[in-house]
Amino acid sequence: MENRIKNVLADVLMIDVALIKDDASAETIEEWDSLKQMNIVIALEEEFDIVLTDDDVIEMLNVRLINYIVQERIG
Amino acid sequence: MKYSEILKANRLLENKDSSTYKITILSNIMVHQAKDLCEYSLRVDNVNAFVQLGDYDNIVQDSLKFKELNAVVIFWEMYNFIDGLQYKSELLSQKGVNDLIIKIKIEIDIVFNNFNDISLLIINKFSNLIFNQYELSKNKSDFIIDELNKYLTSKNQINLQIIDIDKVIAKASIKRSVDLRYFYSSKTLYSIEFYREYFAHIKPLFLLANGKIKKALIFDCDNTLWKGVLGEDGFDNIKMFQEVQYLAKILSKSGVIIGLCSKNNAKDIDEVIQNHKNMILKSKDIVIKKVNWEDKVSNIKAIAKELNIGLDSLVFVDDSDFEVNLIKEELPMVKVLQVPKKECEYNLLIRNAMNLFYNPSQTKEDLVKVTMYKTQVQRVNQEQKIGNIEEYLKSLKLEITTYIDDINSVARISQMTQKTNQFNLTTKRYAHKDIEVFINNDNYTVLAIGVNDKFGDNGIVGLAILEYNNNIAYIDTLLMSCRVLGRNIEYRFMDIINDIVISKGFEKLSSNYIKTLKNEQVSDLYDRYGFKILEKDEESTSYTMLVKRYKGKKLEYIRIKNGK
Repeated sequence: MENRIKNVLADVLMIDVALIKDDASAETIEEWDSLKQMNIVIALEEEFDIVLTDDDVIEMLNVRLINYIVQERIG
Repeated sequence: MKYSEILKANRLLENKDSSTYKITILSNIMVHQAKDLCEYSLRVDNVNAFVQLGDYDNIVQDSLKFKELNAVVIFWEMYNFIDGLQYKSELLSQKGVNDLIIKIKIEIDIVFNNFNDISLLIINKFSNLIFNQYELSKNKSDFIIDELNKYLTSKNQINLQIIDIDKVIAKASIKRSVDLRYFYSSKTLYSIEFYREYFAHIKPLFLLANGKIKKALIFDCDNTLWKGVLGEDGFDNIKMFQEVQYLAKILSKSGVIIGLCSKNNAKDIDEVIQNHKNMILKSKDIVIKKVNWEDKVSNIKAIAKELNIGLDSLVFVDDSDFEVNLIKEELPMVKVLQVPKKECEYNLLIRNAMNLFYNPSQTKEDLVKVTMYKTQVQRVNQEQKIGNIEEYLKSLKLEITTYIDDINSVARISQMTQKTNQFNLTTKRYAHKDIEVFINNDNYTVLAIGVNDKFGDNGIVGLAILEYNNNIAYIDTLLMSCRVLGRNIEYRFMDIINDIVISKGFEKLSSNYIKTLKNEQVSDLYDRYGFKILEKDEESTSYTMLVKRYKGKKLEYIRIKNGK
């Protein structure tokens, strides 16, 4: 699942998946701005057929947290 | 396809080498996902679209900023005329409402005026559907959008296309069209699903502007024009698909070629067409018939050849898995539709497919096109009988009519630049507005020609746009409709062009050939005319000629007449 998430991130951010490390975040990846953050949420919701809450969206600060939150929503 | 897959596929489809079709999307809300979805919807149909987004809530300012565009799309949402208008409008005073309407009207005027010279200006009708979906009676927000929509429709701007966005929202459903989380947090209103529907809805406008509109609709017969198999069930037991046939007839009236490609005995099918009382499509509606026992690939190829149109201009409808897959496999450029199992879905499928032939400005030529294509097929048959082409051409009694800077032909002229692919030396696409500008500018001559012969009048079928600059005349555009190819019209056409250039007092005439996937047949046209090559590379060749040296072919059997 973690790889699926990384692939989604790579597609949305339009960068090589190898650049997406576990601690990657909007701070470390230049392409990751607030608009892309929204696209990431939309793409993840589609990919895993989940609905993320407003709080989830705010907490999804880096790849590790994204993994954790998506895992939680899948249940 | 999922959103992330579209993003990826869109990047792969981008063609950095060929020229782009530039679309700018302006908005007063956030629409950043629209870029990839718009580009992708067009790139899959070989339109190399490139989308730029305006700044958030900057429609008026951006209307001055963007230049050199092919098209503009405007998302102007009433909810953000004033922040929160969807809940504030009801408490506004009548004066407040009126002032707001006046302000937006003035802004519309400024924006439309700034985009007056763009080929295609697309704006959505103002809508309050999303936040007003529960209202039983009209309220102030209805009043605001009604007034503004009346204003939009009163605008007679030739490049303007008003899109009924509520149709798109209805198709996707309100619930799935919006993601209100992002509307409240960041003024992003629409969902990915909405954009998918939206760009599918407006795509015909772009396809038309890029010369990618389909021209012919070819039907199988058994279980496609009617339910049942003629050879087995018999004449009395087949049941016509009436709605499909009516829709085909409507297309035929608008200039789309209707044809048949069926494995059957030709005599039996003719019997149905002529004598079955429920048959809607009659002989006069059906331009071409390939009813025989040969394979459909050969038949479809023959249809394209006889009509002199590209295979990618054809749409083929069949019920059989075998035939559908065969054509998809062997002739991937043909658009293939398979008859669905349920008749009601079949009707909708054809209704939807009508957009593939989208052609809003019906010209005189469109209305009689079916007759013209029929005579084309007759001509091909006579050609096969006579054998000697010169003799045959002489027997046709060909006549060219010239129309110089004729404002009444603007629609047809623009349409030819958008639809002609094969005999088109530079393949420049021009909108009505562009042609008007040329006609009214002394540095240009817009020369259209009509062709008729003893079989009938083909209407306006050729175009040359001449540009004068620094003592040199230049052929910006030279094209002819495929309906009149193979008749040496192009040689007589050049005689006329040369005469015009001489009469304007120019000594040199230059021109060029820009290669596309479809115009190989004219790659040596200027060589044949006697031009000299100035420069040549993979993509294009430029030529020049002294007009005095032009010899021409002296094809006196093609007469020339002045149209006005």
